Amino acid sequence: MKRVKHLALMLVAIMLVASLAACGGNNNAKNSTNNSKNTSGNTAATNDATKTEETAEPAEKVELSVWTLGIVDYEDLAKEYTKQHPNVTFKFQNTGDQTAHHNNLTTALSAGSGAPDIFQLEIGFMERFISAQDKFYNLNDLGAKDIQANYLDWKWKQGSSVDGSFQLGLPTDIGPTVVYYRSDLMKEAGLPVDPAGLGAALNTWDKFATVAKQYKEKTGKPFADVTDLVFNALRDQSQDEIYFSKADGKFIGDTNPQVKKAYDFTVKGIQEGWISNAMLWSPEWGQGMTDGGFAVVLGPAWMAGNIKTNAPDSTGKWSITQLPEGAGNWGGSFLTLPKEGKHSKEAYDFIQFALNKENQLGSFKSVGLMPSIPALFEDPAFTEGKDAFFGDQVTAVEYGKAAQRVKPVFYGPLHDQTDTFFKNALKNVLEKKADPAKEWDEAVKQAKKLAERS
Amino acid sequence: MAQPVLISPHAESKRPFLTEQRRSRITAYTFISPFFILFSIFGLYPIFFTIYLSFFKWDAMGPMKFVGMKNYELITSDPTFWISFSNTLIMGVMGTIPQIILALLLAVLLQSGMTRFKKTFRVLFFMPNITSIVAVTLVFSTLFGNNGMINWMLNGLGLESMAFNSGWWGVKIAISTMVMWRWTGYNAIIFLSGLQSIPTDLYEAARIDGANRRQQFTFITLPLLKPFIVFVTLISTIGALQLFTEPYVFLGQSGTGSTRQEGVTMVTYLYSEAFRNGFFGTAAATAVMLFLVTIIFSVINMLVSSRMGGDTGGRKK
Repeated sequence: MKRVKHLALMLVAIMLVASLAACGGNNNAKNSTNNSKNTSGNTAATNDATKTEETAEPAEKVELSVWTLGIVDYEDLAKEYTKQHPNVTFKFQNTGDQTAHHNNLTTALSAGSGAPDIFQLEIGFMERFISAQDKFYNLNDLGAKDIQANYLDWKWKQGSSVDGSFQLGLPTDIGPTVVYYRSDLMKEAGLPVDPAGLGAALNTWDKFATVAKQYKEKTGKPFADVTDLVFNALRDQSQDEIYFSKADGKFIGDTNPQVKKAYDFTVKGIQEGWISNAMLWSPEWGQGMTDGGFAVVLGPAWMAGNIKTNAPDSTGKWSITQLPEGAGNWGGSFLTLPKEGKHSKEAYDFIQFALNKENQLGSFKSVGLMPSIPALFEDPAFTEGKDAFFGDQVTAVEYGKAAQRVKPVFYGPLHDQTDTFFKNALKNVLEKKADPAKEWDEAVKQAKKLAERS
Repeated sequence: MAQPVLISPHAESKRPFLTEQRRSRITAYTFISPFFILFSIFGLYPIFFTIYLSFFKWDAMGPMKFVGMKNYELITSDPTFWISFSNTLIMGVMGTIPQIILALLLAVLLQSGMTRFKKTFRVLFFMPNITSIVAVTLVFSTLFGNNGMINWMLNGLGLESMAFNSGWWGVKIAISTMVMWRWTGYNAIIFLSGLQSIPTDLYEAARIDGANRRQQFTFITLPLLKPFIVFVTLISTIGALQLFTEPYVFLGQSGTGSTRQEGVTMVTYLYSEAFRNGFFGTAAATAVMLFLVTIIFSVINMLVSSRMGGDTGGRKK
């Protein structure tokens, strides 16, 4: 009797251990952040059901796993695709946390298992993966070369190796930067209210500074919202490269005139008092949009969503115009195919479907993703959408104009952290009244220290 | 290790393999094995891999490249690393020492003064500890904002506003406040259980001998609470060295700046090294350094507590 008990207990213990140890095998954290998906918009345009089939159907059932980021409508497009290709089904996993999203992929790639068939890669993390070409399918081998001409050139190049032979991903949306401004406040300050007029009044940064200063003197309020966005606007207009050399990856932030220009311009704004002291993403920043604490927000296309959520009461008071001296790009993604996936052909066929002209138009209409296909910028379907929030302005046209002005730029893998040093320097100038020149030297010193490690 | 009960030191002779003794041993080891198996997979292996990794250059994807001591040279020559080290110590002191004193006072108050709502207060004390740190940090961030409530109160008292987001002391004060808010109650509960283990007849005897409240506290409560104080200090020290979430969330709100010099701790430094910059080798070296620092502090802790005399184990009745 006793012995039986012993053995039974032992068995239970062994099974317990086995089951616990089994957890060790699968350690890619399933991130299922519930992103309240935007269901208010209509689902993707369901036109063109009679599209010509180009690819051969897979003979047996294939399930593709997809990891998406933020508010996108690729899940709806996948349902559409399954209707046309019954043998291809999808498993989606969406998260809003971009750091975790990309870290999960890093983990899966270094472990050699657990990566999805299709991964949505954000531009800010591009450099981390672009050099790991052995971990991804080269889309050029799958036929991406043939559709390259459909997409914006600068956007395409963000997802290519330096020589262009390797294509990591297909372009999804873009984030061209524009000036969001409060037309009612401009009127009060005696400035032009229409986009063209204000755009002309602000068509160089010098003019921008002069207007901002006058606005501050007249109203007593700051003109621009936050240091980070002013700095970004000028920084992203840099030619070819920002902090790191395209040729050899060396740190050049201290000698790049555009970085210095962005820094000095922001410092000027702080010292002359026409940039507010709110922090980006903070509640005060959102408050300022509502109560007119500042008149302009320099931001990318997707910033419209933030302004609408932060300041719903200011409907109709906003407009959009072009930035002085060019446009930058902030954000946007690519759909990539990690090598761990076994169905590259099917996966590729889906992403080129999801990112074709009519589906990008659908994504713009349903969730506001700014298309990366320039042919759409003249398309009446794209250009007739008036936005009541922006006083019935046709915003798509302004974004399209900005998108055409963007120039491709090389970031380098340490762009994000290096940028932080300069942002911190500006913050010290703003909050601690620190000496700008000393802070600049400190930022450069830290950036060089960091660059030593690569 | 407890000795199995069935030891019978027999002389070697022909015996079946599964003797009674062996079987009971196997049973015993099987029962304790889950911990050791899990610990070796999730504890031991990562520890040794970290030490191994700290001699390599690795971006978590490509091949690992042996670089010898270079990672250690890189971090020890990086001023930010030393700032993170000193920040961790300063915030550790700021968050720990007042916290333990406060926790002790709270526990004594609760033990002696309150009879009616003891249970309620115990729950209240424990609440901060089980609240999500991120949520707490966000609430504190609005309190400590440039135009937040704390500055508003300071201005009301006729004082200057403090830059809690960027000031050298401001950031540390804000973060230490969060740490204190989170752990004071937890430690108070531990002290409370310690106080309840002190026999009441000791106090009665002292009272008969004419000892006043303060004397009772210094000559009975404190000495008998010593093991608890040592335990709480050690746990708090180790916790303080691993400070991460509060500074990370508090300073990282604008998507940048979680490695601001004013508030960078050893673990936020390690984290950004690995997950923002992709230098897993230097991150591993940082982890090893943190491990060494923790050991040094634990040893100091033990030396101090044994020098203070008395045992740290069970109490003599």
